[in-house]
Amino acid sequence: MNWIQVLLIAAIVTLLVYLLRSRRSAQSRAWVKVGYVVFVLAAVYAIVRPNDTTVVANWLGVDRGADLLEYALIIAFLFTTISTYMRFKDLELKYAQLARAVALDGARVPEGR
Amino acid sequence: MGDNRYHDAWIVVPAFNEASVISDVVADIRSVFENVVCVDDGSRDETSERAWQAGAYVVRHPVNLGQGAAIQTGVEFARSHPEAKVFVTFDADGQHRVQDVIRMIDRLEAEDLDIVVGTRFAGSAPKNMPRLKRLALPLIAKLSRTSRKLGLTDAHNGLRVFNRTVADGLNLTMNGMAHASEIVVLIIENGWRVAEEPVEILYTDYSMSKGQPLVNGVNIIFDGLLRRRMRR
Repeated sequence: MNWIQVLLIAAIVTLLVYLLRSRRSAQSRAWVKVGYVVFVLAAVYAIVRPNDTTVVANWLGVDRGADLLEYALIIAFLFTTISTYMRFKDLELKYAQLARAVALDGARVPEGR
Repeated sequence: MGDNRYHDAWIVVPAFNEASVISDVVADIRSVFENVVCVDDGSRDETSERAWQAGAYVVRHPVNLGQGAAIQTGVEFARSHPEAKVFVTFDADGQHRVQDVIRMIDRLEAEDLDIVVGTRFAGSAPKNMPRLKRLALPLIAKLSRTSRKLGLTDAHNGLRVFNRTVADGLNLTMNGMAHASEIVVLIIENGWRVAEEPVEILYTDYSMSKGQPLVNGVNIIFDGLLRRRMRR
């Protein structure tokens, strides 16, 4: 098994555990921002010196830097999909509670009671 | 109207676009039970009006949320009445029979249970049930670890009778059809005493056209898996 395979699998598992366990605390939001800054810096570097990504890729057992980026993209996509799904579920529940409060507020009693 | 024996029973009828049958269903229930609450789940037709005219309390979701949410709303409405002791969920499409409810309530009280769930599979396979469902529904129940633990054969039956302990503890977070599995999970988590009562389902053309396609089972299982990660 290549190092890249080990890392990818570990990343997927870690993301899943992280996402499924932590509700969005202030702390986790802060880490998302830190991650974003790191991402921007890395992206700029990769754009300035594209061949360096190939060097990093070679360390990890991947032939081309472009392939390495693609793997990273897939992971990022999974991360986004799952977190969006969880957010939607959360919102759906709140939305249901709101609609329920409205419904109970406007309850109609049958005539003659 | 109504039998005094069941004055502390509340029948919760979740309904979505059922204007063509809701009057008959409510009137049928009201021939025995005085307290019926119809939860109109954001219908675009006359469901609310007809249920109300037939003598039901009506609460109306401003938007469509799904059957689980409607049941939760109805139970919350019913449990806000301090005298309510017995709670029943009853589908609005006319597939359940009132005499089954009476039997289930009597059993709830006689055997000191917390919840009685209807089953279609106690005796022989139900008449008129589509063949695919006849094979698939018991299979789903067997595959589900939680249902098996309780010996339940028909987790997705809409007919349920329960006491105030269950009504107060009910907090359905799955708005759609996964609420049935969620109820099973709640039964286990809270250690409620549960039994199954054979009931007859009237598979009319109408109820079959409204019933869920079997493919929805995939949604039910998927939502159920996620639910465990979502709680609190």
